Amino acid sequence: MRALFNLLFFPGGLFLIVLALAYEWVDRKLLARFQNRIGPRWFQTVADIVKLLVKEEITPATAHPILFGVLPVVAMAGALTAALYVPLLGFRPAFSFKGDLIVTLYLLSLLTMSIGMAGWNSTSRFTMMGATRALTQLFSYEAPFMLALLGPAIVAQSWQISEIVAANQGPWLLLTQPFGFVVALIGLMGKLEMPPFDAPKAKTEIVAGALTEYSGRGLGLFHLGKEMELVVGLTLIAALYMGGIANPLEFFGKTLLLLVILSTLHAILTRLRIDQTVGLWWRYGAVAVLLQWLALIAWKGIVA
Amino acid sequence: MSVHTDSLWGGALEKIKTWARVNSPWAIHYNSGSCNGCDIEIVATLTPRYDVERFGIKLQGSPRHADVLICTGPVTLQSRDRLKRIYEQMPDPKFVVAVGSCATSGGVFQGCYSVVGHIDEVIPVNAYIPGCPPRPEAIIDGVVKLLASLQAPAKAKK
Amino acid sequence: MSTDLVLQKVETLLAGFAKGTAKPEPNRLDLNIDASDLIAAITALRGARWGYLAALTGVDLGKEANQIEALYHLCEGDAIATLRVRVPRAGGAVPSVYALHPNSMFFERELMEMFGVTVTGLADTSHLFLPDGWPDGMYPLLKDTDVKAAAARTMGSEPPEMGRQGDRFIVPIGPQHPALKEPGHFEFAVDGELVTGATVRLGYVHRGIERACEQQNYTQNLYLTERVCGICSHSHANAYVNGVEQLAKVLAPPRAQAIRQLVACLERIHSHFLWLGVAAYEAGFETLLMYSWRDREVVMDVLEQMTGNRVNYSASVLGGVKYDVTAAHAAAIRRAMDTIEERATHYLHVVTTDTSFLARAQGIGVTSTEEADALGLLGPTLRAAGVTRDVRVDAPYGSYQQFPVTASVDSAGDLAARFKVRMLETLESVRVIRAILDGLPEGDLTVKFPRKIPAGETISRFEAPRGELFYYIKSNGTDKPERVKIRTPSICNWIYVLTKAVGSQMADVPPLLAGIDPCFSCNDRMIVVNRHGGDRRIWTREDLRRHASTQTRR
Repeated sequence: MRALFNLLFFPGGLFLIVLALAYEWVDRKLLARFQNRIGPRWFQTVADIVKLLVKEEITPATAHPILFGVLPVVAMAGALTAALYVPLLGFRPAFSFKGDLIVTLYLLSLLTMSIGMAGWNSTSRFTMMGATRALTQLFSYEAPFMLALLGPAIVAQSWQISEIVAANQGPWLLLTQPFGFVVALIGLMGKLEMPPFDAPKAKTEIVAGALTEYSGRGLGLFHLGKEMELVVGLTLIAALYMGGIANPLEFFGKTLLLLVILSTLHAILTRLRIDQTVGLWWRYGAVAVLLQWLALIAWKGIVA
Repeated sequence: MSVHTDSLWGGALEKIKTWARVNSPWAIHYNSGSCNGCDIEIVATLTPRYDVERFGIKLQGSPRHADVLICTGPVTLQSRDRLKRIYEQMPDPKFVVAVGSCATSGGVFQGCYSVVGHIDEVIPVNAYIPGCPPRPEAIIDGVVKLLASLQAPAKAKK
Repeated sequence: MSTDLVLQKVETLLAGFAKGTAKPEPNRLDLNIDASDLIAAITALRGARWGYLAALTGVDLGKEANQIEALYHLCEGDAIATLRVRVPRAGGAVPSVYALHPNSMFFERELMEMFGVTVTGLADTSHLFLPDGWPDGMYPLLKDTDVKAAAARTMGSEPPEMGRQGDRFIVPIGPQHPALKEPGHFEFAVDGELVTGATVRLGYVHRGIERACEQQNYTQNLYLTERVCGICSHSHANAYVNGVEQLAKVLAPPRAQAIRQLVACLERIHSHFLWLGVAAYEAGFETLLMYSWRDREVVMDVLEQMTGNRVNYSASVLGGVKYDVTAAHAAAIRRAMDTIEERATHYLHVVTTDTSFLARAQGIGVTSTEEADALGLLGPTLRAAGVTRDVRVDAPYGSYQQFPVTASVDSAGDLAARFKVRMLETLESVRVIRAILDGLPEGDLTVKFPRKIPAGETISRFEAPRGELFYYIKSNGTDKPERVKIRTPSICNWIYVLTKAVGSQMADVPPLLAGIDPCFSCNDRMIVVNRHGGDRRIWTREDLRRHASTQTRR
C-alpha cells in the first residue's frame, strides 16, 4: 500500500511531475537571465503541459498508429519507474534491490530509444534524420555515461544504489573521481538532448527532429518524460558523486547546483554537430572514464 | 443532481483548457512573400528588449507543435499553396495572426501580378496587426489582444 | 588607370565585334553586338581579365520596333561596358555565357521567363521566379502581356507533374523552415549527413515589382523600391534615387548626400548585427542572437529618432532627404556609436577566438580568391576571400568622395572570415559616421525636382550591406519610367551555396546559407532556379501536397 502511494503520488508519480515542471522552469529562467531576458512566468511549464495534453493529436498516415500512441507512454513509464530507485527528495528509494543501479540506467535509456523509434515510425525525412542523430548520440555517450556512474559502484563494491551511497560517506566522489563526475554530468546533457548536444532536435536544421510529427498528447508525454529524466538523472549523480542525499534540503541544494551548471553550459556554448558530439565522446569522454576505471581498479587492488 | 455536477466539472475543465491555451501559445512564423521588414520585427520580439517568452510564446520549428501561425507578406502566387498546407498541418485549436500592411491588404504590392493580396483570402485570420512594419510592441499587443479575446468567449459561456 | 583608358581597352578588344559604340555617360561605354558574336566578345574580355558580369537587363523595345534588347553589363572599377544585343521579339535567341560567367545562369533564366528570349545552351530552363503553373508563352515584362489574366490562370491551374528520378534521400529546407526567415526552397540530396547535391527554387517572394514600376510614376516607385527588402531598404531607395537624379541631371545638395550616407552606414551596422545574430542562431548559438539583437536596438533607436521608423525609414526623396540631423540627433548618434564600437569589438573577438564557435565556422565553405572571382560573388562574401571589390571604393557615389570608406577584406575565404569581415565593416561604418557628423556640410535638404524625366538610360550602382546593388533605369520623357531593372547581390551569391553545399555536412548547410547573408526578398523580383544534373528526386508542389495530406490522418 505504501509502495503504491510512493509510486503514484510521493515521491514518485504526481510529485515527480511537479518537481520536473519546476526544474524545467528553473532551467528556462536561468537561460533567459543569461541571455539578458526576463523569461517565463512561474506557472509557464504547467500551462505548457496542460495545453499539450488537451491539444488535438494528429497521427501521420504512414505511421503505425499503435506504436505512435504507445511510445510516448513507454518513455514516460521509463522515467517514472527509474524514479523509484533513486533517493528522491532525500528519502530512501521506494524500492531497492541488488543491481538496481543497472536497472535504473536501462530505464533512463528507454526514453532516448523511444524517441529514436518514434522518429523512425513517423517516416518523414526530418524525423528519420532526427532519429538517426538521436540514436547515434545515444550510442556515443551511453558507454562513457554508464562507466562514469559505475565508478562509484566499483569503490563501494555493490550495484545497489542505497549501498553505494552508504559506502561512499567519505570525501565526495567528485573530488576523488573528477573525470567520472564530469563525464556523468555532461553525459546527462547528451541524454536529455540539451544544447550544446541538441543536434538530434536541431530546430534550424531538421525542423524538430524525431518528434516533428508529434502533436498534442504524445508530444506532451515525451516532454514530461524528458523533464522527469532530468530530475532523476540529477538525483542519481548527486547521490553517487556528492556524498548521498540525506534530507530534502540537501536534495534541493545539490540537484539545483548541478542544474545551474548545466544551464550555464547550455547558455554559453554553441550547438555541436553530430559528428563532433560523437567524436568528443568517443575520443575524450570514453578514454577519460576508462583511465579512471583503471586507476580505481588498481587502487582497489593495491589498497583494499 | 448529477447533471449539475457534470456541468460544474465540465465548466471547470473548460476553464483549465482555456487558461492553458491562452498562457502557452506556441507560435510558428511564415513569410508568404514579404520584404522582411515585418519578419525582423517579429524576430525582434524574441530578443531581450521585448522578450515574448514572458507571455509563454515560444517559436517552434514544426507546424504540428504550434498553436499560432504568425504570417507576414502579401501572399505571392508561389507561396499560396505552402501557406495553406502549413495551416492544414497545424492541429486544433489554431489561430492566425496577419502581421503588417501587406498581410492585411496587400500594402504597396496591391495590384502586382504575382501577388494574391490579403492572407485572409487564403486562410482564415484571427488578428490583423497593421504597420509597415508594425513595431515589436504592436505585434506583442496584437497577440496579447488575441489571447484576451480567447478568454472572453469562455467567460461568456458562463 | 583612368576610367577613359579602361574603357578604351574595351573598345580595342571588341573592335572586331562592335557594330556601333556610344558613350551615354562619362563612365559608360555601349557597344552594339550581334547575338552570334556575343560569346566571342565575352571571351575576349574574360581573356583580358576585364570586368565581371554585373547584370543582364532585358528591355522590351515595343511592338513597333518588334525587338528585345539584352544588355550585358560588365564592370571594371568605375567603368561599365554594356554589350547591347538586339533580337526579334518573337523567337529571338542568344547563346548562354554560363561557361564564362557562372552567375549568369540566374540572369539568363530571368531573361527567358520574363521576355521569352531563348537562351541556347542553358541546362535548366524551368521557372526561376515565376510561380509554378504560370502559363507558358506569357512573359510579364513584355509591354502588352495581360498579366492579370496570366495570374488568374496560375491560381486556377494544376502544376505539371514531374517524374521521380532516382532514389536519393532528399532533405527539403523551406519554404517554411526555422532556419529561413524568408521563404525559398532548397533541396539537398543527402547520404546520411553528407550532402551530395543541391538545388534551389526561389520565387516565393516574387511580387512583380519591376513591372509595377513601369506603371507608376517616379515618386510612387520610390516607396515601392524601399520595400523590395526591409533590411536594405535605404540601399534600394538610395540606388533608385541616385539613378533618377542622374537621368534628370539634378544633383542633390551636399548636406542631403551626407545624410544619405549617414543613414546608409547606420543601415549597414544594423544589418550586420542582425545577420550576426541570425547566423549564430542557425549554428545553434542562441545566446549570441539575443546579445547582438539587444545591441542592435541602439541603432534602431537612433534611426527611429531621426526618421520616425525603425525599418523602412524612407529617408531619401527625389532631390534630397526628408529629415535633417539636428544637434540632438547627432549627440544621440555619437552615444550610440560608442556602444556599437565597444560591442562590435567584442563580437569581433568572439568570432575570431571562441573555440566552440570556430568549431562550427572555421574551414567551412572555403573559397579561394580565384574561385570567388570566377563565380562572380559579391559583397562581404567576396571580400572574405581576398578580393577587394566594393562599389563605395571603386566607384564612389554621392558624398563617398568626401567621406571615403576603406574596404574590409580577409583572405581565409571560409565562414569564419565572413563573420570577421562583417564585424570589421561595422567598425569602419562607425568611423565613417563619426567623420560625417564632424564634417556635415551646411545647406538645403532638397532641391527642386522635375516631374517628367527626360528620355535616357542610366546605371546606378550601390554597395548594400550584402554586396553590389545594380539599378538600370530607362526613361522616356514622361513621369513614368520605361524600364527599371533591379539586380540584387544575393542572386549572385546563391551559386556559392549550391557549389559549397555539395560535400559538406547537412548541419553545415544552414550556416552556409547564412554566410552569404541571403535576402530572398531582394532577388525574388526575378527568379531563377539552378538545377545541377544528376539523379535526384524532386518534389513539386503536388508531391508536397500529397505528402502532407497523406501524412495526416484525422
